[in-house]
Amino acid sequence: MSYVLAKSQNNEILEAGECGGAVTSILKYLLDEGLVDGVLALSPQDDVYDAFPVFVTDSEDLLKTAGSYHCAPTMIGDLVQKYFIDKKVAFTVKPCDMRAVEELITRHKINRDNIYMIGLNCGGTVSPVSGRKMIDLFYEANPDDVVSEEIDKGQFIIELADGSEEAVKIHDLENEGYGRRNNCQRCDVKIPRKANIACGNWGAEDGWTFIEINDEKGQELIDGAKKAGILETKSPSDAAVEGRSKVENIMIKMAKKNQDATYPTVSEMTEWSRCISCYACRDVCPICWCFENCELNKPYFKDEANIPPVPIAFQGVRLSHMSFSCVDCGQCDDVCPMDIPVSLIFDKLQKKYYDRTGYVAGVSDDIKPPLYSPEKTEL
Amino acid sequence: MFEIKHTLCPSCSVGCGINVILDGEEIVGTFPYKRHPVNAGKNCLNGRNSIECCESKFEDIDSEKAIADASKEIKSCDSSEVSVICSGYDTIEEVEAIKNFAESNGFNIGFYSDDLKNVDDVASYDELAAAGKVFAIGDLLYENPLIGRRIVHAKQNDAKIYALSKNENAVTFNIADETSTSSVQEFLDKFAGEIDDSSVVVFNYVDEAGDLDKLESLSCKVLPVFSKPNTKGALGIVDPKSSDEMIELFDNTKLLLVFNDDITEDFDYDFGRISKIISFACCENDTTEIADIVVPVKSWLEQDGSFVNAMGDEQNFSSVIESDNLGIVEVIEELNK
Repeated sequence: MSYVLAKSQNNEILEAGECGGAVTSILKYLLDEGLVDGVLALSPQDDVYDAFPVFVTDSEDLLKTAGSYHCAPTMIGDLVQKYFIDKKVAFTVKPCDMRAVEELITRHKINRDNIYMIGLNCGGTVSPVSGRKMIDLFYEANPDDVVSEEIDKGQFIIELADGSEEAVKIHDLENEGYGRRNNCQRCDVKIPRKANIACGNWGAEDGWTFIEINDEKGQELIDGAKKAGILETKSPSDAAVEGRSKVENIMIKMAKKNQDATYPTVSEMTEWSRCISCYACRDVCPICWCFENCELNKPYFKDEANIPPVPIAFQGVRLSHMSFSCVDCGQCDDVCPMDIPVSLIFDKLQKKYYDRTGYVAGVSDDIKPPLYSPEKTEL
Repeated sequence: MFEIKHTLCPSCSVGCGINVILDGEEIVGTFPYKRHPVNAGKNCLNGRNSIECCESKFEDIDSEKAIADASKEIKSCDSSEVSVICSGYDTIEEVEAIKNFAESNGFNIGFYSDDLKNVDDVASYDELAAAGKVFAIGDLLYENPLIGRRIVHAKQNDAKIYALSKNENAVTFNIADETSTSSVQEFLDKFAGEIDDSSVVVFNYVDEAGDLDKLESLSCKVLPVFSKPNTKGALGIVDPKSSDEMIELFDNTKLLLVFNDDITEDFDYDFGRISKIISFACCENDTTEIADIVVPVKSWLEQDGSFVNAMGDEQNFSSVIESDNLGIVEVIEELNK
């Protein structure tokens, strides 16, 4: 592992990107050099609260993906396994994306040789609808006037079309039930160290991206981008490295405090009592890859006459099947029509599993998934 | 090329947004539309399965010939014996075209709205979530989950929930303070003293027409939830018929034109009694099975349009894939030639 500060040598990217535009520049390098078939990255659609992954094959289009989109809590892992299995692809990953990809690599659903993971340090994401409501309630701004947002130094900062900025402490927003998504508040993996590189502004000087190089492929990326003349680098000071580490540790400490506060509060059976067995949580889960072969699709788990579904027959089976690999991405919470805190229940059990085995889903170096059974290979 | 596009869910009248994933011109999946104000990325199973209509399109029908055959049948029949069925699945633009088509040709027009009717001042979804008391008629958590979610929110805000369902195992009962499997009339009578201006009555069925009068006379806001995405929009254009009136219409029809609906699902009727049925449909259903002529038309995924949701918001959507078929509006233009 080593560290560099990096900055784009491309003026357009410098202008459009965050903190030096290193991420966009590295993606451009990968495309221009033909090292990948395409780049999967978030691009804003109707406004800054509405971003989703686009597949970019022309580096000129990368500018549309520059910038940060905290109000677009997407998951990249399942898209890569479902739609890009045969392609060489680069994509940006938050820690939960990285963890999902790692779990899928372990299950032979993604080929590590085919991918470049450009990690983004992550302090959390905000749901777009509640984010707009939050801005309406706690800022002196119309949510429609926001042109960009960022999370920095414990604040959620919005920039308006006239160039002005407003900031409110995330802690204050979260005390009122807004701010980051619940799973993000308890997430204790802030830097995606299984990605080839992990980028962010923690510890960085203004106008530079702080990059942690995690493996050989990451080092080749940085060297190649420099050689291609698109990236400038320099070594960070010891103080910068220490500052970044301090930010990470504070955020992990806050997350653990949140875990201690929230795990005891959830009552699984009460929450599950409103489950309508719509399978949205399973279908969006990046770790659930059995698809049509899922046991829960089998006739003996379907009981049309018995509504509501017996929770243990769906939630219970799924919990016992994959909670050990839960990466706490919160996608299940996001899509549950009944607002069941699915990820809280699953993450709580994952942490119990961690306490006994030391296994952190998508972070530990195990080469086989938890509770691996040979029968699974038949699926 | 991988691409994600916004559209609306056509499964009921709640008006949820949904993203579809495209691989070139093929829809291969759905993706949560988290920015959509109605559902914030949450879709029920029906919504996520709605894209399956693409798998049952009419590949072997010569569209031009089908339109010509339909035109010939229509012209050979006395206009008083022709009935046109429009549907809550039709867009605003289509309903207007169907109504004009029927009126200008002297055809009967039938529109069934689940025996529900339009209410002008309905409760919004936010008002439902903020209600002090919620009276839920129908298993809304199970049948209209994104309305059900607002009832869950009301419960979390300490509202008292009164639930009526014909199903004694209704999911809504699990969060309700009071439950009943009685008739709508009995339910409303039983809790009449409890209903006040902090209440919202949300319902997706009634037992009889008199229930609607009773619901409209309440001292609180109501929210009818329809089974089709644009029933409320169509109600603003076409007067609905009750199920009895629809049966009477079928009895007096020799040529039935069904625009984008499966009438066999709504009515237990011997459609074999009708001499000819022409179905204008985007995908196979039980009505296309019994139809004499099927005219393939564009689905909502293949055209621009608008639906009005249960709380009265008109939402536009754009085509996400191309189609060689004509839309209903264009087919009607052809029939009018």
